Amino acid sequence: MRTRLLAVVAGVGLLLAAGPARAHHAFAAEFDQNKPIKVQGSVVRWELTNPHSWIHIDVKGPDGKVATWMIEGASPNNLYRLGLTKESLPAGTAITVEGYQAKDGTTKAVGRNIVFSDGRKFFLGLSEAEGAPK
Amino acid sequence: MSRRSLASTAALAVLALVALLTQVPAAGQTPSGASKPTATGKPWTPPRTTDGRPDLQGIWTDNTVTPFQRPQQLGTKEFYTDQEFAELSQRARQGDVGEEGNLGAANPQEVRYDLELYGFDRTKVRFGSNKRTSLIVGPEGVVPPILPEARQRNADRVARNKGHEFDSHENRPLSERCILLNQERVPLIPGANEGNLIQIVQGPGYVTLLRETNHSTRVIPTDGRPHVPQNIRLYQGDSVGRWEGNTLVVDTTNFTSLSAFQGSGERLHLVERFTRAADDTLIYQFTVEDPTTWAKSWSAEIPWTKTRGPVYEWACHEGNNMISNILRGARVAEQEAAQKRER
Amino acid sequence: MRKWLSDSSILGATAAVGLVLAATLAAAQAPAYRAPRTADGRPNLNGIWQALNTAHWDLQGHAAAKGPVPSLGAVFSVPPGLGVVEGDEIPYLPAAAAKKKENQANWTTLDPEVKCYLPGVPRATYLPYPFQIVQSQQNILISYEYAAAVRVINMGTPTKAPGDSWMGWSNGRWDGDTLVVDVTSLDERTWFDRAGNFHSDALHVVERYTPRSADTLNYEVTIEDPKVFSRPWKISMPLYRRVERNAKLLEYRCVEFAEELLYGPLRKKSSN
Repeated sequence: MRTRLLAVVAGVGLLLAAGPARAHHAFAAEFDQNKPIKVQGSVVRWELTNPHSWIHIDVKGPDGKVATWMIEGASPNNLYRLGLTKESLPAGTAITVEGYQAKDGTTKAVGRNIVFSDGRKFFLGLSEAEGAPK
Repeated sequence: MSRRSLASTAALAVLALVALLTQVPAAGQTPSGASKPTATGKPWTPPRTTDGRPDLQGIWTDNTVTPFQRPQQLGTKEFYTDQEFAELSQRARQGDVGEEGNLGAANPQEVRYDLELYGFDRTKVRFGSNKRTSLIVGPEGVVPPILPEARQRNADRVARNKGHEFDSHENRPLSERCILLNQERVPLIPGANEGNLIQIVQGPGYVTLLRETNHSTRVIPTDGRPHVPQNIRLYQGDSVGRWEGNTLVVDTTNFTSLSAFQGSGERLHLVERFTRAADDTLIYQFTVEDPTTWAKSWSAEIPWTKTRGPVYEWACHEGNNMISNILRGARVAEQEAAQKRER
Repeated sequence: MRKWLSDSSILGATAAVGLVLAATLAAAQAPAYRAPRTADGRPNLNGIWQALNTAHWDLQGHAAAKGPVPSLGAVFSVPPGLGVVEGDEIPYLPAAAAKKKENQANWTTLDPEVKCYLPGVPRATYLPYPFQIVQSQQNILISYEYAAAVRVINMGTPTKAPGDSWMGWSNGRWDGDTLVVDVTSLDERTWFDRAGNFHSDALHVVERYTPRSADTLNYEVTIEDPKVFSRPWKISMPLYRRVERNAKLLEYRCVEFAEELLYGPLRKKSSN
């Protein structure tokens, strides 16, 4: 698995030579840049839909209650082409997720980073400019 | 005669009869510029499928950063020279490709999707191998001016939705609803990312195009049949094909009003041409006309390159969280705004 | 001369016995139909096909029953069917049998077909809509009219799926005149019918398509899933060619028809 510097690139995945109007949806329509989150939990399942996959994780809150978070990730088809398989993220894996919460305030987020307990990073699909909130 | 040799004689007779009855197209004309001349200068002859048709099969990528319309400063220049092309390609692979891969102005403060994880690999960026300055061909290289009635029609549609863009799923674009994604529309317009492969599978009397995005499949008959009745409208229109020499010509009509291509209406008429120009190259050309939208027809050409598959399933609707998140987000925003007003 | 006579009569007797044996065998199994060949010598399965039964309602034998929408009365009520399961028993493990009952009781809310989700295999084959087989040497593509479902059967060296998908991962090969398709990595959320018959992510399906006449195929499927069933089980049915001139698959993009159900609750309420 190649590690990659998440470069500053604009727009969304479905690029078209026809012009910007063709983007499927911008990050901002669904998620709030001003609601950064960081959650720790274990993978329940990895839902392999396109254009975004969804990682379901069980997160134990400070009150001991478990909430299931859904984290939006990258297109599985392209992750396969980068060498990942569904075995790359098996159920039960302990992970930490940093990202931005959904605008509707529910336990959903778009993932900026997933870090495994051994420090390895997992591709998610979000990048940011230098100077953006960390 | 032993039973075995009788059987094989019969088999040979059947084969001979099939060969006699099958129309093997004469090695014929290809559209000008469509096939690469071989070392001897003759156009390349494609291999045949087992039933004698030009073999277009394989997994293809149409990805390119050649712009759809010609940059204004290039005027009527249709082709780059070899040197210009080499320099351009090198610059693109090193540089930042900006909004939509088209060197637009990007806001560096915004958080956005990392395109590399959506199939956009900057180091593999390519301009169309035909060295065209734009996908649209001809001296103008741009979409012709839109007719007033089309302008009005499209403006009316936008006006009807204005202020209601987040009211319900019906107000959202077809792509967000996973009904018709932009990258599965016809004609086939490329993106800069390589995630939208095309697989061609041919059987007797049919050519099938499987576009990876939204598992979009067009099964095109090549028996010269008429279009389906006019009152049947289809998002991807109704396609009928025929072979002209080594080129598959596909005629598509019966579009819905939402199939709009560059502002077109229901009377869009699309003609696509598929020609295998080399082992690893397929030239895709299309011409569109719509008397309610443009005063004249216009055409484009996109070279496709053979690539490795497989084409993976692209399930969009099954677990479409995008649209519910967006609608729910809008409801929450409205509620918050209402609460603010009450204070 | 006598030797010749006795030799020939032995020959004759042997031949007679042989004929009787052959006739007996022939009576026991119908002579196999030999389909026309494609140009590369394979049975020609190209064409538009469709199942003609009520398996999509319920794989097992069932009487007619009330439909799910009272206001539609007899329209879309459940037609009767003899069933397509060999032995008519689906061998659920005890816990799974309970889940099947629950699925069946709540099928309008639980059945993925209601949401226009991709139907999976084998359900896609016997939904009451046509599908088209486009057969080439390296690949056999099956395009289903319903929900634009599609799959490509790899006819070369078998490959492995990187992840699950709704229509599964198909590797195919020829066994005489039969196309055998091995399907794995099917998303666990597909169902077999509207009666709540379901499976887990361990589902393994083996399909057999055998030409039985010019316009029919025999379709036999072995289903195994050790998390749900105590043993493998089989379904079988004929598939019929759509013989009308210019038969063609049209778009049945049913997503639109499921949207009100899925997103209706998220609609903006009109302010008073």
